[in-house]
Amino acid sequence: MQADFLETLDEDIANADPGGQIDFPHMPEGQAVDMGLAADGTPLFDPRILNSSEFSRNPYPYYRILRDHYPVYHDKLHNTYYVTRYDDITACYFDDEGFNTIPKGSSSGVLGNTQLELSGVEHRRRRNLYGQHLVGQSLQHRVPSIQRLAQAMVDDWEQQLDQPHFEQRGGKRLVELGKAFANEFPIRVVCEVLGFPKEAQSDFYYWYNSMMSGLGGSATHKAGLEARQHLEDYVEDIVQQRRQSPTYLYDEQGNPIAKDIITKLCETQIDGDVLSTEEITSNISLLVAAGGETTRGAIINMWYLLLQHPDQFAQLQADDSLWDQAFHETLRHSSPIGGQPRHNTYDIEMHGVAVPAGSLMQMVDFSANHDDRVFADPDSFNMFREDLYAGKLLRSGYNKGGKCSHMAFGAGPHLCPGAWISHQEAVEGSKILLQRLGDPVLCLEKMPTEQDGQTLKPNGIAPVRELWVEYTHS
Amino acid sequence: MKPVASIVGSNGVAIVKHNYAESGYRTYEVYQRERVGESTERINGSDLVSAAFAQDPYPALTTLREHYPCYRDWVNNCYWLTRYDDVTSVLADDANFETRSKRWLYGLPNFGRDLNSEIPVLEAWAAGYTQSAVSTAEELCNKLQASGSNLATEFAAQYAGRMLAKAVGVPEPDVDRFLSLHWQLQRGAGWLPCVQQAGLLALDELVDYFKALMERSESSTSDQTLLAAVARLGGDAKDLVVTILEADSQTLHGGLANLWALLLTNPDEFAKVQAEPRLLKIAYLEMLRHTTPVVAAQRFAKHEVERFGRLLPAGSLVVCAAAAANRDPRIFDAPEDFIANRRDICHREARGQYRADGLATGVTAGLGAPTKHPAVPEDRPVSRYALVRDCAVDASAVVMEQLKDLRLQPGTQPVSKSLAVGEMYCCWSLPVVFES
Repeated sequence: MQADFLETLDEDIANADPGGQIDFPHMPEGQAVDMGLAADGTPLFDPRILNSSEFSRNPYPYYRILRDHYPVYHDKLHNTYYVTRYDDITACYFDDEGFNTIPKGSSSGVLGNTQLELSGVEHRRRRNLYGQHLVGQSLQHRVPSIQRLAQAMVDDWEQQLDQPHFEQRGGKRLVELGKAFANEFPIRVVCEVLGFPKEAQSDFYYWYNSMMSGLGGSATHKAGLEARQHLEDYVEDIVQQRRQSPTYLYDEQGNPIAKDIITKLCETQIDGDVLSTEEITSNISLLVAAGGETTRGAIINMWYLLLQHPDQFAQLQADDSLWDQAFHETLRHSSPIGGQPRHNTYDIEMHGVAVPAGSLMQMVDFSANHDDRVFADPDSFNMFREDLYAGKLLRSGYNKGGKCSHMAFGAGPHLCPGAWISHQEAVEGSKILLQRLGDPVLCLEKMPTEQDGQTLKPNGIAPVRELWVEYTHS
Repeated sequence: MKPVASIVGSNGVAIVKHNYAESGYRTYEVYQRERVGESTERINGSDLVSAAFAQDPYPALTTLREHYPCYRDWVNNCYWLTRYDDVTSVLADDANFETRSKRWLYGLPNFGRDLNSEIPVLEAWAAGYTQSAVSTAEELCNKLQASGSNLATEFAAQYAGRMLAKAVGVPEPDVDRFLSLHWQLQRGAGWLPCVQQAGLLALDELVDYFKALMERSESSTSDQTLLAAVARLGGDAKDLVVTILEADSQTLHGGLANLWALLLTNPDEFAKVQAEPRLLKIAYLEMLRHTTPVVAAQRFAKHEVERFGRLLPAGSLVVCAAAAANRDPRIFDAPEDFIANRRDICHREARGQYRADGLATGVTAGLGAPTKHPAVPEDRPVSRYALVRDCAVDASAVVMEQLKDLRLQPGTQPVSKSLAVGEMYCCWSLPVVFES
């Protein structure tokens, strides 16, 4: 045995690298930073990458390392286990007892208790309270009103031409689709479905933004809690009114379709008890949170990807039945939702990794959607791919006829109850947008690029923020 | 009892459930809503794993202690406790909270056996740390006098390492390499992947080394080394390495370095100790309070438990911030000051909720079992807490005696930090001058 202890010590002191956050260089899309190698040649995975801007913009090569080498990765810095393979994640999602949703999620502090944090029969009962309004015949009745809302927003563009999200360029017109359409459209739909008074919709939009940014105990935490309190104060009065006199949703002929969701929540009894205002507000908060940013991301990512693939877009322009496929492939390729937390009820071993009961296990849907064990050439956007199930969404299954569905809506008992309505919003809204835009192209010089000023930024963790499109005004 | 169950995914991976009979499955609702007055915008979880925190954790911990005594850290998925009574209530509560082993951090929960609770092992530690406490310090002081100036590495780190090597029974020619490997092994139980890789390699090398050493050693019953004790218990090289890994390795090294950093940067306090050397023991305890080498100890909720105004779900990580508790003004007067003869600190060994005579002790992790607790058998060997304390005091007395007119090198400032967030908080550079 040789070597000097003091030398080892001095070297470690000199190379001290103490922080939990460091700057990683930005890599070309699809390539990972070299984080070192183990003695057997396995790439090492530095948990600090998960906090980095490099990871936010270019996450998929890192998820590939996890899937291939650490299918259950223990991040000791953040006390979290990451599960990254498609089959493992779906197995966990379907095992509601073994991987439960007890309330440790960062959303619960701001949004309140929702069915996201319930399991078993209690979860089913709460979910069905409003889930029934978002599927099947009930949903079909609402499609015309979704179309009307989209059409009204697009028709209003002529009044917004002096706004910063419009520009005139010769005979062409530029529009930023986020501000002009995608940011607000899903919120309007949620307000409609809930039966939220129109005069409060701008407040509602503000509360929604504040609550979203206040999640996770960050610097905006207080603003998030205040917005939640204001929403609750506002909803309290509405609840009192609706308990007395229910209100309805109407079809295009003015016929009542069903009671709105707030009215239904006011009338609902569980074991003989009515829901409290706080419980109703929590449900509303969840609907807003779940139905706002996610659908916005789906719409804007879908347009961004389509405009980057003109050949596929051309086929879609010729055949609008292809929107369903485009929607599902978008959610596979660039999902707005990264994953869902679960907590293992039992001490388990998975891929040889011992996970003590009660650990936080992040099911990484982003990674499942790019698992090449399931999807061929997963990093490519191809709405005609044959290994993706793009039919009618099935709550009970993710694999039909040898094709797998994407994981953007999860799977199993906690499959997103808004999956069907968000699908309709994105598809119907996009059809109306396409009618208005005619033959749009991506305005490259207005889009964020890499440092070279040429290459477009990759689709990362967060959905595209701004999408500038050039179109011919007719 | 339900049988052991497993789920098999379509890729053939089995997820084996071990404690199937003890279901923590719940379907009922839990109150989680936070109110406006409970907002936590003064701090962000990333502040608690930042480089600034590794350099100096006290500002962030003070914010937590004074504003969010049980802080839900969403970034790092844990709860931070920072007030003295809260921290000690968890450290003393092994019915509701558990410690996880360093082997678990290595991802090797079933590797070898930790024999640290076996009486022969405790006796071996006691023998090793008492027999050569003074002579080792004298040797190192002689070396310093010959050529050396850094009290943090050339004395504190070396002293802790050499005491460990002697207690284990490592032959003198191998000590340096053993200490390098041990250092890498201990650091490897952290979160940095390259450091953990070095730790895994060190683990393998140490197992091979001790395997060969155990095969060629002929231990007698009078041999009081850890090596011999483990062999007598039927343990193998893996058990020996795990027993070394799981033992506290930080308090003697970090404690000695921090003690001398505090004494040399507080000349008035140093003068008190020089005038009255019996104060060294109190100064050591005060160092553990003022600048503890173990900033925080991790505990995990064994089951769902309601404490500190929160419901802590089973498996929750509770970070007991000893550094914050030790400077809690609710407990200690002038908590930011280092006072060598502090009067509001308990001088007895920690026990129970770490109070005796109505006074609080400083909180340190890795205290070992108390020796005089009613629940501890009389024939139980002295605890590692007391061993380490006595060694540190003996060694410091030798330093005071041999290195006359000891003071900081002019123009230098001691550097204290953790080498990586979560690791030992210690003074790493303490350049000194003295009369040869």
